[in-house]
Amino acid sequence: MTFRKRQKVEVYKRSKDESWQDYMDRYVGLRGVVTDPDTVKNDPDALIEVTLDKEGTHRFPQDCLRVVED
Amino acid sequence: MPKQWPLWVNLLNGGLYHEPNAIFHRKEDALAGCLLSCSASSIPVECAMVKPVCPVARTIDRLSGIISNGHLKNARCRQRAEEILKLMEDVASGRGGDEHIPAMESLARSLEKEGPEAACRDTGAMVSSILSEHREVFESHLKTQICPVTDCARLTPSPCQMACPAGIDVPSYVTLIAQGHDAEAIELIRKDNPFPWICGLICTNPCEFMCVRGRIDTPIAIKYLKGFAAERAMSDGLYRNPEKAPDNHRKVCIIGAGPAGLTAAYYLALKGYAVTVIDALPMAGGMMMVGIPRYRLPREVIDREVAIIEALGVEFRLNTRFGKDVSLDQLKAEGFEAFLVAIGAHGSYKLGIEGEGSYPGVIDAITLLRRVALGDRRKPGNRVAVLGGGNTAIDAARTCIRLGCEEVSIIYRRSRSDMPANEEEVQQAEEERVKFSFLTIPVEIKGEDGRITSLHCIRTELGLEDESGRRRPIPVEGSDFGVEVDAMIPAIGQTVDRNGFADLGDLKWSRRSTIGVNVASMETSMEGVFAAGDVVSGPATVVEAIGGGKRAADAIERYLSGIPQPKMPPVPVRRSRTGFIQVPASTKMSLHRPDMPTLNDERRRVTFQQVELGYSENSVREEARRCLRCDVCIRCGVCVDICRNKMGIDALQMGYLDFDHPYPTDLRTTAERCILCGACVANCPTGAMRMEEWGEERLLSLCGTVLNRLKMETCEMCGAVVGPARYHDFISKKIQGISQHLRDKVLCLECARKSTAESHAEMRPPKTFDL
Repeated sequence: MTFRKRQKVEVYKRSKDESWQDYMDRYVGLRGVVTDPDTVKNDPDALIEVTLDKEGTHRFPQDCLRVVED
Repeated sequence: MPKQWPLWVNLLNGGLYHEPNAIFHRKEDALAGCLLSCSASSIPVECAMVKPVCPVARTIDRLSGIISNGHLKNARCRQRAEEILKLMEDVASGRGGDEHIPAMESLARSLEKEGPEAACRDTGAMVSSILSEHREVFESHLKTQICPVTDCARLTPSPCQMACPAGIDVPSYVTLIAQGHDAEAIELIRKDNPFPWICGLICTNPCEFMCVRGRIDTPIAIKYLKGFAAERAMSDGLYRNPEKAPDNHRKVCIIGAGPAGLTAAYYLALKGYAVTVIDALPMAGGMMMVGIPRYRLPREVIDREVAIIEALGVEFRLNTRFGKDVSLDQLKAEGFEAFLVAIGAHGSYKLGIEGEGSYPGVIDAITLLRRVALGDRRKPGNRVAVLGGGNTAIDAARTCIRLGCEEVSIIYRRSRSDMPANEEEVQQAEEERVKFSFLTIPVEIKGEDGRITSLHCIRTELGLEDESGRRRPIPVEGSDFGVEVDAMIPAIGQTVDRNGFADLGDLKWSRRSTIGVNVASMETSMEGVFAAGDVVSGPATVVEAIGGGKRAADAIERYLSGIPQPKMPPVPVRRSRTGFIQVPASTKMSLHRPDMPTLNDERRRVTFQQVELGYSENSVREEARRCLRCDVCIRCGVCVDICRNKMGIDALQMGYLDFDHPYPTDLRTTAERCILCGACVANCPTGAMRMEEWGEERLLSLCGTVLNRLKMETCEMCGAVVGPARYHDFISKKIQGISQHLRDKVLCLECARKSTAESHAEMRPPKTFDL
């Protein structure tokens, strides 16, 4: 799955990627908007920027995200 | 069958959400958010938690309950508990100060030790325990004026501020700009971001994605407002540094003069540290200077904002490459006690096709952009092929157009709709006559005498979706063809250049070739060495690098002061409580985001002049007035609920309150139905809804937007001012069954009571009293 700017997404699970940090556990289940996907080549392995409703902007590995609305 | 406990998930995001497919078998596990078993788990739930409750709000609830339930019989105890409650409420509403926590602790101690009854002592012990356990939360409330859990209504942050990686207090500065206070706005922004002008031109503006106004029509042009204010403040000579702390004679070295490094340098210098920034390039700015073309970000803008940082006493050592010109040991010997690595991601990936390394006419996009930024304006060739579909490819192509290349083509292996570049960037490239060749893969670079002559390509067609969800480009057999080019620019991704860091064996790198850090504190695996920016995140945005630099500055100060590092990223700080600007609802709804005027296409093709020309002053002030002030209105919906369900009026059509499913909003329709009863105002938890009386009128406003204004009526009997006619009609209808006598009369409460009493006296008394 690749993500595009403005897509509504959900952090639906904890990622096993090394970039996942413990404090991110509290974001599981939250929704937000993709604000900076990989704008070079849509690399599925790149960390992408997601702004969560009420919880700020973070870079997440893509395996923990799913699109909830286009 | 053992008793099961349901799992509640998604609790941080607007209330409780019951996940029916996830069941816990022990209550404590459900409460701890620790998933033990997930029966019939068709919905993937791997982690969940119970909503964190703000200890400040929770203590207020518990204390209020103890006091109102009469548990404290002793008057002295009750008074002390009420004093604690008052202080707690100050903390929860942004009115607290440094003395509040010690005062509460003292009162709690006296209750605990001197209380004559168990209830007093228990209450004191409860408060003492909470203050001790959650002291940092109380301190954070006082310091930041923000309640991140959003339980304290008056300290709930606005979505735009929360979205900003630098945590800028957006509503406050937008309001200042609306009022024409540009320099004050810049002063406020620089408390969180030392580059308001740069970000006003090139920020990726996540704030605008979360802007609540966007749920009504279009988001506030936050980025452009910031750019205008910064330019105006600079032009007026009012763009100044705040006063810095006295020198503490402790030295910090920052490796890399990009946005992360310079941000850290700014905040550390303000705190009195002696900061030295080293950089391999001959000028400061990092990727802002050499990765972003001048037509988007003029060099003067960077130079001026860097100069303001330099004015704080920050020392720059340019043309100095870490690991080559200077080593970590040498720097330590100079007395530097902490280091921040912020070298960015200036390397490029290779294409891996034949001929790539054989010709000087192959130049990767990052190198080309850097070369041009450093002043080399020679065109790479006449017929240029740029390979890639991202923003860097677009930047390289548009730069080549400006350098005078006769024909510039972007070659991309998928279709236009699959391009990862921003749509606006692609459109602007098309306007500047960049050509596009989609569904094309380069396979070989051919040339003669050391010069490229052509690019051998093959056509593709899109097949089935791959693991990334996109249709895979499949080469079409026999479709190969040659493109006549004399320069080729791969733009297929950036990477961190690790040259110079080989000696730092203890530094942990990730599999993405970035430095591994604790994101909350930016600490690396080496003591005293921190990292921030693209070297940590991979190629990312300027504002993220600024946020990282700010976190790193805080962490370096903690490290040098022996204070423990935070476990969570910082909570943004509310910098101001700016008053509302009164705007009629009709104006609020009819104002529209202005289009950004741009340089004409022909001029864009031949110069590096800034493409976006900026808003006019009038547009800026008007645009800023569209802001809904979400730092005060927390969109709880209580006003809508009260008006519709309790009063039965339904005058508030505010569909924007719902994040997931916004429905139409029209603030103008309030005036059609609203009776100005004030129920919404009385129940608003933050003071966003206000009712005021101006002369003969009563006004209802939401964060300054005047929703309704009606003329007041006067009492027919005593002449006192009563509510508007619509309100009177509403009340009359409600009481017409009780007092027919008052129909069609405009009376104040007191006169109505008197009149009703008189009419009762005229009535025949009940039979039992009939003598």
